[in-house]
Amino acid sequence: MNAQTETNSRELTYSEAIREAMDIALGNDERVILMGEDIGVYGGAFGVTGDLVEKYGTDRVMDTPISELGGAGVAVGAALTGLRPIFEFQFSDFATLGMEQIVNQAAKLRFMLGGAVSVPVVMRFPAGSGTGAAAQHSQSLEAWTAHVPGLKVVQPSTPEDAKGLLLAALEDPDPVMIYEHKLLYKMKGPVPAGHYTTPIGKAAIRREGRDVSIVATAIMVHKALEAAETLAREGIDAEVIDLRTIRPIDRDTVLASVRKTGRLICVYEGVKTLGVGAEVSAMVAESDAFDFLDAPIVRLGGAECPIPYNPQLEKAVVPQVPDILDAARGLTKGRI
Amino acid sequence: MPELPDNVPYAIRTYSPERLRDAFLKMHLIRKFEEGAENSYTRGLIHGTMHLSIGQEASAVGACMSLTDEDKITSTHRGHGHCVAKGADVEKMFAEFFGKETGYCKGRGGSMHIADPSKGNLGANGIVGGGLPIAVGAALSAKRLGTGAVTVCFFGDGANNEGAFHEALNMAAVWKLPVVFVCENNKYGMSTSIERSTAVKRISDRAAAYAMPGVTVDGNDFSAVTEAVDQAVAHARAGEGPGLVETLTYRWRGHSKSDRNRYRTKEEIADWQSRDPIVAMARLLVDHHIVSEDEIAAVEAEATTIIENAIAAASAAPDPKVEEATRDVYTALILDEGTPA
Amino acid sequence: MPVEVIMPKVDMDMASGKIMSWHVAVGQPVAKGDPLFDIETDKAAMEVESPADGMLYHPAPEGTEIQIGQPCAWLYAEGEEVGDQPAAFGAAAAEPAPPPEPVAAVEPVRELAFTAEPALEKPRATPRARRLASEAGRDLTSFVGTGPRGRVQADDVLQALAPAPSAGFTAETGPLSITRSKGGEGTPIVLIHGFASDATSWAPLETHLRHRPVIRIDLPSHGKSPKLRIRCFADLVKEVRAAVDDLHLDAAHLVGHSLGGAVALALADTRPRKIASLTLIAPGGLGPEIDGAALTGLCNATRVESLAPWLRRLAADESLITDGYARLAMASRNDPALRHAQAALADVLFPDGTQAFDLRAALDRVDMPTRIIWGKRDAIIPWSHALRAPGKVALHLFDGLGHMPQIEAPDEVGKIIRSLV
Repeated sequence: MNAQTETNSRELTYSEAIREAMDIALGNDERVILMGEDIGVYGGAFGVTGDLVEKYGTDRVMDTPISELGGAGVAVGAALTGLRPIFEFQFSDFATLGMEQIVNQAAKLRFMLGGAVSVPVVMRFPAGSGTGAAAQHSQSLEAWTAHVPGLKVVQPSTPEDAKGLLLAALEDPDPVMIYEHKLLYKMKGPVPAGHYTTPIGKAAIRREGRDVSIVATAIMVHKALEAAETLAREGIDAEVIDLRTIRPIDRDTVLASVRKTGRLICVYEGVKTLGVGAEVSAMVAESDAFDFLDAPIVRLGGAECPIPYNPQLEKAVVPQVPDILDAARGLTKGRI
Repeated sequence: MPELPDNVPYAIRTYSPERLRDAFLKMHLIRKFEEGAENSYTRGLIHGTMHLSIGQEASAVGACMSLTDEDKITSTHRGHGHCVAKGADVEKMFAEFFGKETGYCKGRGGSMHIADPSKGNLGANGIVGGGLPIAVGAALSAKRLGTGAVTVCFFGDGANNEGAFHEALNMAAVWKLPVVFVCENNKYGMSTSIERSTAVKRISDRAAAYAMPGVTVDGNDFSAVTEAVDQAVAHARAGEGPGLVETLTYRWRGHSKSDRNRYRTKEEIADWQSRDPIVAMARLLVDHHIVSEDEIAAVEAEATTIIENAIAAASAAPDPKVEEATRDVYTALILDEGTPA
Repeated sequence: MPVEVIMPKVDMDMASGKIMSWHVAVGQPVAKGDPLFDIETDKAAMEVESPADGMLYHPAPEGTEIQIGQPCAWLYAEGEEVGDQPAAFGAAAAEPAPPPEPVAAVEPVRELAFTAEPALEKPRATPRARRLASEAGRDLTSFVGTGPRGRVQADDVLQALAPAPSAGFTAETGPLSITRSKGGEGTPIVLIHGFASDATSWAPLETHLRHRPVIRIDLPSHGKSPKLRIRCFADLVKEVRAAVDDLHLDAAHLVGHSLGGAVALALADTRPRKIASLTLIAPGGLGPEIDGAALTGLCNATRVESLAPWLRRLAADESLITDGYARLAMASRNDPALRHAQAALADVLFPDGTQAFDLRAALDRVDMPTRIIWGKRDAIIPWSHALRAPGKVALHLFDGLGHMPQIEAPDEVGKIIRSLV
C-alpha cells in the first residue's frame, strides 16, 4: 500500500468502487466503452453502472439488446479493432449463452492468428449464491473460463481490489474475465482515490498464520477470515490467502504458505469437484511443497447440485464458516 | 474515366482495366490456390482438412472491390478466396496451410484461421456464425473511432440459422453500424440444403426483419456482386447503416475432403460448372475489350506460376519449434504458467 | 534350511502384530523356548519364545507390522550358510485382514507375503514427517505416530528429534532410578508407584513386606528418574521393562499402584515367566474413566494450598492428608521441570481426562497369581473397573478406602500381599 492510498482512501462499497473504476477509465480513455443489458438509465441490474450514462452518454454506456452471444461477440470484435469495451453480463449464468465468443473467439484469436492480434476485452460476471435467485441466477462458473488458455480470470474480494483489478484489466492486452460476487456489492471497505491498479496474477495474504493455509476466493475470503479469528482464540493460527486471480494462478504465494504451515484448506463457492480447489491441490501435490504437507489437503466447495431456492438449502450447499472451522480443527489436531 | 452507358455492366463502368485485370488474376489465384491445396492434400502434404471455394471466386473478389486496407472483412471456414481477394500473399497462405512458422498464423491456425490484420482481414473462423458479432464489433469501433472504415462480413447460408446471425444483424441495425453482411449462399450447409433448413425463400428476405436493405444477386456474376456490395458499402460508409447481400453461388467440391457428395446429383454439379464464374469473367473482360484472348491465357499462366512458386517456397519453410507451442496464448502474461511437459 | 520365525496369533481377532524388540542380536544363538522377541498388538504386548535352536538372522526391523503366520526372522543351524533373506516379511495390510485360515502346516503360506501391500512396509507418515525424518537421517520406524491410524506427523518427528522448548522441560536420558531395601530374603518384590507420586510413597506398606528384598522403581519423570520424553503408554512400559530387565532377576513379585499398576500388568504380560505374582492396587488400564481434573490439579499445583485439596481427593478419609503430609508432598514437587514433564506425560496417557490405554486383554491373559486391591470410595478411578477381571484374578475390595489403599490401610494391604509373597 503506497502513501497516496493511506492519505486518499475513503470507504466505498464494492459496487461503488467498480463504478469509480469505470468512471476513471471512461474519463481517461475515449476508447473505453461499457456494454451490457440495462446498464444505461436503469443503472445495471445490480446498480453497478449507476448514472454513468448521464455523464458519458448512450454512445459510450451502451444498452445492448438481450443478446448475450451477439453482445459478447460485438465486444470481442470491438476490442480486436481498437476499442476497450467493458462488457457486463447481467448474471454470470447468462454468459453460458455467450460462451462461443468467450471461449472460441476471445480466448483463441491471438493464438490462432499467430500473435498478430490482441483482444483487450474486459467482461464482468455478477456471480454467486445467497440472493434466493435459485439455480439459473446463482452459479459460480469461474472455473469454466479459467479452464481456457488465453483468458485471464480474476475474483476481487474487496472494494479496493474490485477497482484495482478492473483498472488493471483495462490496461491488460488480453481478455480479462472479472467475477464479482453479488453479495459483496454492498460490502464497504477502504478504496484509494484516483487511478491505481491491482496486479493480475498476484494473490494477497489477508492474514498471516503458522498452522494452516486457507486459500480462498471471492466471498469465501471473508468467511475464511471470520473463521481464522475464531481459530485464533483456540490457539490455531490460520493464514488466509485471497487468490484474487485464478488464471494465471499465483503459484508462488500458495506454495510458500503451504511450505510454512504444512496444511492446506482450499475454500471456494464453485462446485467442489474439478474446480479451483482441484487446481490448487494439484499444484501443491505436484510441487516440492508436497514434502511440507503434514496432513491431507482439504477442499471445501459447493455441493454437487444446482443452487436451491430454499434459504436453508441455499446456505447448506456452499461452504460456511463452521465448515472451515471444522476442517481447520481436524487438520491441526491431526485428525484428518 | 469517361461515362459509359448504363447497358454496360457495372464493373466495367466503375473500375479501371488495371483493377479489372487484377480482379481476374485474383480469381485465377483463388482457383489455382484451391487446386494446389487439393493436390497437396492428395499427395499427403496436408495435416488437416480443408474447405475449398472453387466455383465461388466471383463472390469473394467482387465483394472486396471497393474495400481499402482500412476496411475490414471477417471470413468463414471456406475462407481462402476472401483472403486472396483482400490482398493476402499466397505464399504466406500456403505456408500456413502447411503449418509453417512463416505462415500467416505461424502454423498455429491452419486453413480455417488465415488472417492478415495489416490488410484488414480479421480472419477466417472455424465456428459457423462466429465472425458475425465480431464484424459488428469492428463496425462499432469504426463508428466510435471515426475511421470511416466499413466491415464486410462473409458468411454462408448455414450461418443464417445461427442465433449469432440474428443477434448481430439486429444490433448492427439498432446502432446503424457500417457493416455489410455478405451471405454466400452455396445451397448447402454441409449436406443440408437451404430448402430443408431455411424457412424463407431468399436469405436476403431476412434483412427486412432487421430493417436493412437486402438484395440477392447471381454470385457467379462478378459485376452483379460488385454492384450490389459496392452499393451496400457506400450506404454503410455514408452512415446509413448495414445491408445484407446474398450471392447465389455453388461450391464445386464437397463440404470438406471427407464429403462423399451423397446429397446432390452429378447433373446439378455439372450444371453449376457450366456457369463457371471465371469463364464468365473472361468473357466479360474480352467482350468489353479490357483484355484480349491471349491475355486471358497469360493471366491464367501467371496465376499458375505464382501458385507453383508459392507452394515450393512454403514447402521449404521451417516448421515452428515444438518448445514454442504455447507462445502467443497471451500478449503479456504476468506469471509464468509453465510449459507443457 | 533355516527355520522361519513367524508372527504368532495370540488373540482371537488379531490380524497382525508389531515387532517391538528382539532379545537376541543378529547372528547370536538362541535356544528353543528362550524369549526371542516382544510383540505388540492393538490389544497387548507380549513376549514370544524361540521356535527352535539356532542363530538369529534377518529379523524384521523393530516397529514392523507383520501379518500373523508370516515370517519375521529366520534361525540358522550352526555352520549353515547364511544367504539372502529367504522371503519377504509378511507386512500387514493397513486394514485388518480377514482372519486367515489357521496355519497348521509348518511351512507358512508364502504367497501371502507377496500379496501384502509392499508400500505398507513403510509406516504411515505425512510428507512433512517423511522429509524431516529423512533430513535427520532417521528411519521413520523410529518414531511413534500420533496421527490417525498411527500416522507419523511432523510434530512426532520434531519432538523426537529435539524436544520442544515450549513443553517446559528438557527431555533427559538415562536409566530409571532404582532403590532397594536392606534385608529380606527370597524372591524380591518390585514396587511401581502411581502417577505424580514416587518411590517414597511405599514407606507405609514396606513395613509389612520386610521378609523379602524390596526394589522400588521411580517411573520416568517421577522421583529421581530422568525426565524422559514419553510418547505413548507402550513407551512408558518399554522404559520400565528395560529397568526390570537390567535387574537380571530370575523372578519377582510385582506390585503396582494406579498407573504403576497398569505398567505392572503390561510388564507381566510381556515377561510372564519372570513374574511370580502380580498385585494391582487401584490399577489403570481397565476402563476409560479417570478424574482428569485431579490429574491436572496435581500437575499444576505450585504451592501447598493448591496441592492439598487434590491430595485429599486421593483418600477416603481426608484427615489422613495432614498439612505436614501436603507440605512434604509439595517439597518433592518443587522442580517446575518435573511438574511440566508429568503434565506432558498426563497429556499423552490421559488426554482429555481419558485413559488412552486398554489392558483388559492383558488381564485376561496373565497366568501368574494375580489380585486386585481397590477402595470402593476411590474418586480417581472407579473401583468398578475391577469387576472386569476374569475369575482367576482375586479381588479385594474395601468399602471405606479411596484411591490409595496402601497408604490408607497399609496393614490390611500388607497382609494380602504377604499371603502370596
